[in-house]
Amino acid sequence: MIGKRVRLGEPGTAWLFLTPALVLLAGMLLYPVFYTVWVSLSDFDLATFQPSGWVGLRNYELVLKDPGFLESLKVTGIYLVIALPLQMVLGFAIAFLLNVEWRGRGVLRALFLVPMVVAPVVAGGVWRMLLDPLWGVVNYTLGLVGIGPIEWIGDPTLAMASVIIIDTWRWTPFVVLIAAAGIMALPGEVYEAARSDGAGRWQTLRHVTLPLLVPVMAAAFIVRWLGAVKMFDIALAATRGGPGNSTNVLNLYIYEKGFRSLEFGSASSMATIVLIVTMLLTIVLFRVSHRLENRW
Amino acid sequence: MPRIIRLAAATSAIGLALTACGSPAEEVAADGGGLGSDGSPVSIRVIANDAFAKQWQDQLVPEFNKKYPNIKVTVDGVPYNDQLAKSMLELTGTTATYDAVLADDPWLPQLAKTGALYDLKGSELAKWNDPDYDWADFSPTPLAAGQWDGKQYSVPVRSNLLLMFYNKSLYKKAGVKEPDQNTTWEQYFADAKKLVQDTDGDGKTDSWAVGTYFTKDPLTPTIWQTVLNSNGGRLLDDKMQVTFNDANGVKALQTQVDLLKYAPPGASTYQFNEPLEAFRQGKTATMFMWGSVFKGTAVDKESTTLTPDEVGITTMPAGTAGPGAHRGIWSAGISKKSTHPAAAWTWLQWVTSKEGEQFVAKEFGTFPARNSTLDGEPPADWAKPVYAALKSGYEVVSKNEMWRPRLPESDAVQQILALQTSQAISGQATAQEAVQRAADEITGLLKSKGYGQ
Repeated sequence: MIGKRVRLGEPGTAWLFLTPALVLLAGMLLYPVFYTVWVSLSDFDLATFQPSGWVGLRNYELVLKDPGFLESLKVTGIYLVIALPLQMVLGFAIAFLLNVEWRGRGVLRALFLVPMVVAPVVAGGVWRMLLDPLWGVVNYTLGLVGIGPIEWIGDPTLAMASVIIIDTWRWTPFVVLIAAAGIMALPGEVYEAARSDGAGRWQTLRHVTLPLLVPVMAAAFIVRWLGAVKMFDIALAATRGGPGNSTNVLNLYIYEKGFRSLEFGSASSMATIVLIVTMLLTIVLFRVSHRLENRW
Repeated sequence: MPRIIRLAAATSAIGLALTACGSPAEEVAADGGGLGSDGSPVSIRVIANDAFAKQWQDQLVPEFNKKYPNIKVTVDGVPYNDQLAKSMLELTGTTATYDAVLADDPWLPQLAKTGALYDLKGSELAKWNDPDYDWADFSPTPLAAGQWDGKQYSVPVRSNLLLMFYNKSLYKKAGVKEPDQNTTWEQYFADAKKLVQDTDGDGKTDSWAVGTYFTKDPLTPTIWQTVLNSNGGRLLDDKMQVTFNDANGVKALQTQVDLLKYAPPGASTYQFNEPLEAFRQGKTATMFMWGSVFKGTAVDKESTTLTPDEVGITTMPAGTAGPGAHRGIWSAGISKKSTHPAAAWTWLQWVTSKEGEQFVAKEFGTFPARNSTLDGEPPADWAKPVYAALKSGYEVVSKNEMWRPRLPESDAVQQILALQTSQAISGQATAQEAVQRAADEITGLLKSKGYGQ
């Protein structure tokens, strides 16, 4: 007897092949998210290290009244508003420079990759040493011209500047890479046409290059935004969020609430709020980026 | 049903099924897993701090194996910041990865509350007790770190106290009398002005009075907590109500803020390594630091520029209730989920026996918890004055209850204190404001955890 052959068809085969990935995704991605939301709505019992009684939105109410959380929102906002545009502008400017033929640009291009391969905690620690007022080379150099010593990490305002400098040092090369790839992919004939029409360098940049690069800029910005919004390792290694709360970015605050204070209910509520806000802002950014692409 | 809902339902079901995965706890054999034999050794695992885990694995375990060759011990080092959460997960999980768990001083109530640690003086472990194990020989101060709720859940393996180190050469150069246990905070600050000095005559200050914890760290408030205790104050009373939001608390925090005036540039970021390095390089005349660093600071040539003759050690300056010190004891307990409690308890008894303690005191410079070691022949000449300071420290610590809060929420309390201390040190708040905010936040925290406030 010959058994009837089961034909899954194209959608069935596709689902069959997708199943292992979906199971993995469910286990590795969805489960932690569900668990975090569950903990955020429960009382976390330290004796069993498990969520116990249902408390509804009580943890969320406490978190929204927590001055530390509100301050860390503000700190994260300041960091994002300064660091992201700075890295974008620097990244594209350096990419334009590297696009021009000059001797040694290959070496410089390779050197630009170094910060990206340094672990963030190591970067934070090394910069902490470089910026030390007593032993650091930065203050030593400034001291030669009569400046300082400057409390880079100890002063609340300068500490934020230092975190932004370290983060910019580490992530600008990433923007440079994306920008350089985008610039190299620009069609040559458009430039020939612009030249034929008598466009100067500035006009070509303003009316040809930048509009053509908008999709690349938007993609780079969104990728950097997603990376920047979860930043905490550099702040942890360089300043530990201090002095006071001056560099206590959201994720560092959540980490300390969860893993140092073992306040898992509050930490999970904060994480859930951050997840929702980040998702909403990312959707907005995607829409803006689409509009910009269509405009040019 | 729309496809997306079916997909979400399926993935949720898988997620929930995963939570149900887990194996039941293994049964402990009547012989506690035994002590192993030549052909069939037993293995135990210890979760320790990465600062000393390797040292233990490389030197302490081989020494133990001379007496107990059939107990194989693996010591896993975990970074300090991750150790409490990892230990909690370990003790509340269904199966045991670790047979013995190490705890820093304030963590024990939290770990004991899980119910997963043996009472070391209780009946469950009694059948594997070493008859020569002398509990009465322990100094009560370090031993108390392992007690909670009337039971002995752990025993000291690395004793420590916050003490004052001083550089005798820098004191001499400044023409200042060396400090002792009678030196008061007033005298200390009067001396500190002279200890900020230009030692090489080039017109620039190159040596400062003090280095200690100033950055945002849970250990930073231990400095002003010690000042508070040495003036007779406490953080919390027996009912777990805040008692430091008064003039005494403000004065104590202000003392730490004022110390920064006499510290090197950049000292506001000092955690553990920075003040240690500054002192070892001869840049600071005093250092409020854990006494256990003495060997690396005064003896070991590869880590210090100083010699034992140059380094003095004593209790921290005195307040109205006496000199200061602060307890920081690492202790170890046995997990009830261990399938080898006999081997684990045998190992722990040996490590904390007179023999084991003298070995670690000699080889690693670890501070002892036993009176017989403290009063006996010191392992080296340098240890004589250090043990004397340690004994004085143990006395004042017990007298004025100089330790971090003993409750399961200890780390959360310490985090709040760390933030507010940092606010005061960096000038973002006055000492009064910082103390009041810390008091309010701690009261709120403890209230939410069911403590009557």
